[in-house]
Amino acid sequence: MVVSVRSWVANEGGKHLVLMLWLGANTWLFMNTFLLYSTGQQYHYLYKMLGLGLCISRASASVLNLNCSLVLLPMCRSLLTFVRGTHAVSTRKTRRLLDKSKTFHVACGVAICVFSVVHVSAHLVNVVNFSASYSDDFPALNLARYRGEDPKMIIFTTIPGITGVLLVLILFLMFTSSSYCVRVSNYEIFWYTHNLFIIFYIILMVHMVGGALKYQTNIEAHPPGCLRTNQSSTEQQGEELEQSEDEEGRCREDAYFQPHYPQTWLWVSGPLCLYCVERFYRYIRSSDPVTIVTVVRHPCDVIELRMLKKNFSARPGQYIVLNCPGVSSFENHPFTLTTCPTENKETFGIHLRVVGDWTERFTQLLLPPPRIDLEILPMVQQRRYPKLYVDGPFGSPSEEVFNYDVSLCVAGGIGVTPFACVLHALLDGWTGFRLQRLYFVWVCRELQSFYWFAELLCALHHKLWQENRPDYFNLKLYVSQTDGLLSMSEEKYRPLSSRLLVGRPKWKLLLDEIGKSNKHKRVGVFCCGPKGISRTLHRLCNSARSSGTTFEFNKESFC
Amino acid sequence: MGQIEWAMWANEQALAAGLILLTGGVVGVAGQFRGWQFAAYAVAAGAFVCLLEYPRSKRAKGTSVARTGQYCFTVCVKAFGPLTRNYYVRAFLHAAICVPGGFMLATVLGCVCLGIASLIYLAAAIRGEHWEPILPKKETRKPVAQSIKNPPQNPPPRPPAELRRKQAKDLEAAAYDNPMPVTLDE
Repeated sequence: MVVSVRSWVANEGGKHLVLMLWLGANTWLFMNTFLLYSTGQQYHYLYKMLGLGLCISRASASVLNLNCSLVLLPMCRSLLTFVRGTHAVSTRKTRRLLDKSKTFHVACGVAICVFSVVHVSAHLVNVVNFSASYSDDFPALNLARYRGEDPKMIIFTTIPGITGVLLVLILFLMFTSSSYCVRVSNYEIFWYTHNLFIIFYIILMVHMVGGALKYQTNIEAHPPGCLRTNQSSTEQQGEELEQSEDEEGRCREDAYFQPHYPQTWLWVSGPLCLYCVERFYRYIRSSDPVTIVTVVRHPCDVIELRMLKKNFSARPGQYIVLNCPGVSSFENHPFTLTTCPTENKETFGIHLRVVGDWTERFTQLLLPPPRIDLEILPMVQQRRYPKLYVDGPFGSPSEEVFNYDVSLCVAGGIGVTPFACVLHALLDGWTGFRLQRLYFVWVCRELQSFYWFAELLCALHHKLWQENRPDYFNLKLYVSQTDGLLSMSEEKYRPLSSRLLVGRPKWKLLLDEIGKSNKHKRVGVFCCGPKGISRTLHRLCNSARSSGTTFEFNKESFC
Repeated sequence: MGQIEWAMWANEQALAAGLILLTGGVVGVAGQFRGWQFAAYAVAAGAFVCLLEYPRSKRAKGTSVARTGQYCFTVCVKAFGPLTRNYYVRAFLHAAICVPGGFMLATVLGCVCLGIASLIYLAAAIRGEHWEPILPKKETRKPVAQSIKNPPQNPPPRPPAELRRKQAKDLEAAAYDNPMPVTLDE
């Protein structure tokens, strides 16, 4: 598969542009601060005492300031959802960039770790130099109390030293618990250690108090290096006396040093306040418990939950975060909405698959396990549903399905949930959107999974055929496991059974076919499913296409 | 919070701490700082900790993700038997290894990080976790069940054909009880 420049630029161009800008900003900041400290007149004496360690540590500190302020911004989810929603402010290209907000957060986090290592190493060298090159000429410049003071004492008895050690420990805890392995197996460890960030930021803002590094304030009156010229002029008295007095300037007074005042709060306080406001807003918004209206059990371990909440509105494709104190007080789990509230119907619903202990316990609270002898006669019993809190809705890439002329939605198993909401919206009224054609590919392991949304698919199909747009909705269903039941026998699901294919889909042929029917158009590809499918599709979208169609890849994923 | 596997987190921390100890030791030896012998020790100790912690343990419940190329390390670590299986041994081993690192400036950080990892290993050991090697599954063909060689000789019990055909006049008499329980397949 040859990568075509046009497809690659359409898919990856925006992301890489932002990456280049970010790298450029970091490099510029690093070089600027490095040159300031190595060539600046006000740092001349300090540079002589500490050497390169001074420049590297200060340059990495400024890069750390930038990244510590940027790392919070992609995590303001409500703000990003709002930006995604206002089409006036953002174009489709900007909204596509918002999909990668978590990746940007990780990039800034990695930069913080890397530059912390550089910063700490440089400062360790500085501390050794403070102790070894204790300056007798300028006592105000020293951090050590006497020549040869043990560097460990310097670290543990100054504010920058102790706060630095604490910051490194917190960063170490946060970094080691955010690996993919720990997140997948024990999300709580990741969540609780990552919430130590607030302590990290508070300590960061007092890190510079105490003023370890000082700059000279009276450069005109005491040009750096003039002590030496005064001394050398007394040595070579006769000939150069007049010359040196004229050229090098006069030392009118002693050098006067002043520590920097802390600057980190200038960088960090804005995003930190924004993030705290956002968390507070989310807490207030989710403090209203929701009313559970219906619970339906579907085949293959899927439960559908319909709920009602005051002042709740959502767009198709968005997701919510559930918290059930009856199961666990602090765990929050994201689920995509499968039905959004409309003018006619105020309830919204999710489909959740029972895998893992939270969902199992939650299902047990919702639906007590059926007793065998009561299966024949269903009894209506009064059920007391558990209390449930909902945070959201939050934006996701699948909201863009309506903003392309042609869209291809690929779903794997339970990944069909964002598209189910899209299909419900089309069922309510398909004429109002920019979307002219939708290709829907759903791959499942077992045939029973298709029954989750069989009625919705058939209803949409019939409606579009009745309204004379048979080419609007193109459905393909694939059953990937070849043993087991392989056909849907019900008469009402005839449109589905005639579009059911056995085996895995051949993506290249599919994209070629779509490309032939939609020449020179921009097709939005939306994938929500296992990594294998999304990787293959991504590669295919980046590769050359003879029909001139551009495929823009959008992936939906959690954690 | 009841089912967290602390050992997995402790493993990540110990690996990172080993790398930090190794780096600090290399810096200390290269710069020939005061006390560089501690730095030399830290290089060896850091390398040892990295080799010990590289192979991930198999999770008690769920899928385990192995690190790339960890198979040979798994075999070596498994060879030590109960010494490496038990997390109490690991906790005390890490606590003992990290102490000499505290005497030199360049290795202090590695010492503290390894100490934290050792505490978490202690917590994991108290909760009864232990190290399990991730070994590739051997393909065993299912043994052919005995019953496949003897197919049933008789058809399943059914009432005779006349009774089974639905009598349009007499639906009540045509009903029969299934000897096996039947559930709706939905």
